[in-house]
Amino acid sequence: MSEQIASAWRLLPEYLSAHIVLSAAALGAGLLIALPLAVLAARRPAFAWPLLSFASLVQTIPGLALLALFYPLLLALSALSGRWFGVTFPALGFLPALLALTLYALLPILRNGVTGLTGVDKAAVEAAKGVGMTPMQSLWRVEAPLAAPVVMAGVRTAAVWTIGAATLATPIGQTSLGNYIFSGLQTENWVFVLFGCAASAVLAFIVDQALGLVETGTALRDARRIVAGVAALLVGTGLAVTGLARPNAASYVVGAKNFSEQYILAELFAERLQAEGANVRQKQGLGSAIAWRALVSDEIDVYVDYSGTLWANVMGRTDVPPRDVMLAELTQWMKEKRGVTVLGSLGFENAYAMLMRRARAKELNIRSLEDLSGKAGNLALGADIEFLDRPEWAALQKAYGLAFRDKRSFNPTFMYRALSSGEVDVISGFSSDGRIIADDLLALEDPRHAIPSYDAVILLAPKRADDALLQRALKPLVGAISVDLMRAANLSVDRDNDKSTPLAAARALESQIRK
Amino acid sequence: MPNLVRRSCGAADGSADMIDIDNLVLSYPSSTKPALDHVSLSIPEGQLVALVGASGSGKTTLLKTINRLNDPQSGTISLDGEDVSAIPGPLLRRRIGYAFQGIGLFPHMSVAENIGITPQLLGWSKPDIAARVRELLALVDLPADFAARTPAMLSGGQQQRVGVARALAARPKIMLMDEPFGALDPLTRDALGQSYRALHERLGLTTIMVTHDVQEAVLLADRIVVMEAGRIVADGTPRELMSEKAEPRVMELMSVPMRQAERVQAILSGAAHV
Repeated sequence: MSEQIASAWRLLPEYLSAHIVLSAAALGAGLLIALPLAVLAARRPAFAWPLLSFASLVQTIPGLALLALFYPLLLALSALSGRWFGVTFPALGFLPALLALTLYALLPILRNGVTGLTGVDKAAVEAAKGVGMTPMQSLWRVEAPLAAPVVMAGVRTAAVWTIGAATLATPIGQTSLGNYIFSGLQTENWVFVLFGCAASAVLAFIVDQALGLVETGTALRDARRIVAGVAALLVGTGLAVTGLARPNAASYVVGAKNFSEQYILAELFAERLQAEGANVRQKQGLGSAIAWRALVSDEIDVYVDYSGTLWANVMGRTDVPPRDVMLAELTQWMKEKRGVTVLGSLGFENAYAMLMRRARAKELNIRSLEDLSGKAGNLALGADIEFLDRPEWAALQKAYGLAFRDKRSFNPTFMYRALSSGEVDVISGFSSDGRIIADDLLALEDPRHAIPSYDAVILLAPKRADDALLQRALKPLVGAISVDLMRAANLSVDRDNDKSTPLAAARALESQIRK
Repeated sequence: MPNLVRRSCGAADGSADMIDIDNLVLSYPSSTKPALDHVSLSIPEGQLVALVGASGSGKTTLLKTINRLNDPQSGTISLDGEDVSAIPGPLLRRRIGYAFQGIGLFPHMSVAENIGITPQLLGWSKPDIAARVRELLALVDLPADFAARTPAMLSGGQQQRVGVARALAARPKIMLMDEPFGALDPLTRDALGQSYRALHERLGLTTIMVTHDVQEAVLLADRIVVMEAGRIVADGTPRELMSEKAEPRVMELMSVPMRQAERVQAILSGAAHV
């Protein structure tokens, strides 16, 4: 527990700075856009309805979806702009997060802006005209100061929303306090999840108090409060910017998808790169397709992917060649078509595997899928929710003609429980899953190679193809991690009691490799 | 009181008039009936004219057309010989005093800042503005230390005095007043009306005052213009309008104060006999 808290604290400066800079930029951009629109809508009621409707509509899009939508949008825009103007921009990370959060911040500012401005005492507005103010003078000298308290209340709401929603920027490759939450959810590290939630809540609370000071300052016409509140916000943002500015130069970025094994391997890579004297940052919790895109566009320098996944999803192949052939073809294709270097396989697979309790398999004398095929009629299959619709299942049936007595779908946790309790006899799992050790399971062999191989391979970004430091640090890992080692490491992070952090698991794994 | 009333018709005798309104037509988009239906009116310098009439008769619309808070569909307005449509609205309004029932003091500014606003817009120096504020507070019978107060700290009558001071700050020649004392209690209202009449004389102003109170109009104005459905239906001194030559409807309206006074008298004398 205390080890996990300590490791959470170590990550705080980086995550918090990134979170603050992102939120501040989004809130600032939201203000710049929403305030003029609020003035327009207050002056011309015909604009108010469509503007407010649009902002409300944006608000109904789930935050995560809104952030995710900006990735393909920016990807397309970047391609267009690259073709027309020769300028491309990143579709991952800060930019899409900023755009989505800015949209999110619009509604409260816009709504309170319109309410505040239209709610200004009509007599004061008439007097402003009557004494000879131009519309701009009336806005700045009379309407804006009188509407300010209501507008500020909207800004406070927007700030709290933005800080909360910024935690959702993690899956699109933008570091934030959400890194705690997403990695914690995946590894069932509730300390991390709570830490991320608490940090984001405390940040939101502090910002809300500072803005509250500004709000009461505008209401009481007390310049000291306004100055104090604004100064606090600027100092905080300034500190965050300087905090972020430091580690950037010439550092390596290690990517990780969103499950335990990936977190452990990313930590392992980072430790090794640091041992070589490199400056390392991690981008964790990336979606599968996003991690690949980020590598190809040099936004991350290295990550681990699986041969079967790349074979089907990136190369678009449907055939299932033997393991060695697939790896060789993949390596060549990656280099030629995408400039990506496949440094080598780590030595284990994370493939779909049919699992049985060891004792039960022994009792039935089953070691491979061939053994299983004759006996399946008396057995029940438990599968995860998507497996029965996947090509792997079709391939298995074709190769071995597996006709089970019963087939049931579970979410992964319950699937393993159903196997332990004997409710089902065989399940579809993953070959590097730690529970294979914990529950003493047997992964059935696949002599006919029906299931594509999913070798864990190290991928290097195009610009790092000949990077000596990366080679020096990571080449020794090729072929060094057996599936048993990986299962043990995964188990140490995934188990319910005496959990390790991914970093601790990576260090334990490192010491095993050196033996 | 010198008899300044001339029933002039628009531009005919032109240049001597401070305000010359010719054939104004204005209708609001929301209504089919025009708010101003071919209105013409000439007002010589120094006159205090009361615009009276029922709600919706067009008094306020006419007033706001003079300082271009409204723009007419057709017709012209000249102030001191200058066509107002040639002057940008904000610049025009800095030259014309405007006070209205809502007062509209700026709640986030001090009394001094409220009074000094038009001079400030005109680019006066700070010492000049400060001196003018002191002068105006004295003029409207408010203590000098009110300068630092905020409007919320003042009574209704005090607020309206500040409103009048603000309207007078940039030394306008023309004052437009829309029911300026309408929301005040009768005593304050009477006192303010009389002080304003005195200011009008002392500063040589030309004033148009909208009121629905005939008694106030009779007591303060040199001339009363009666409006009905966007038209001027009577125009003359209080005495002329109350004479037998006036139309019956107008006479009925104008005789309200007299009839009320008689009833008051009757009640009081009746009470004395009991």
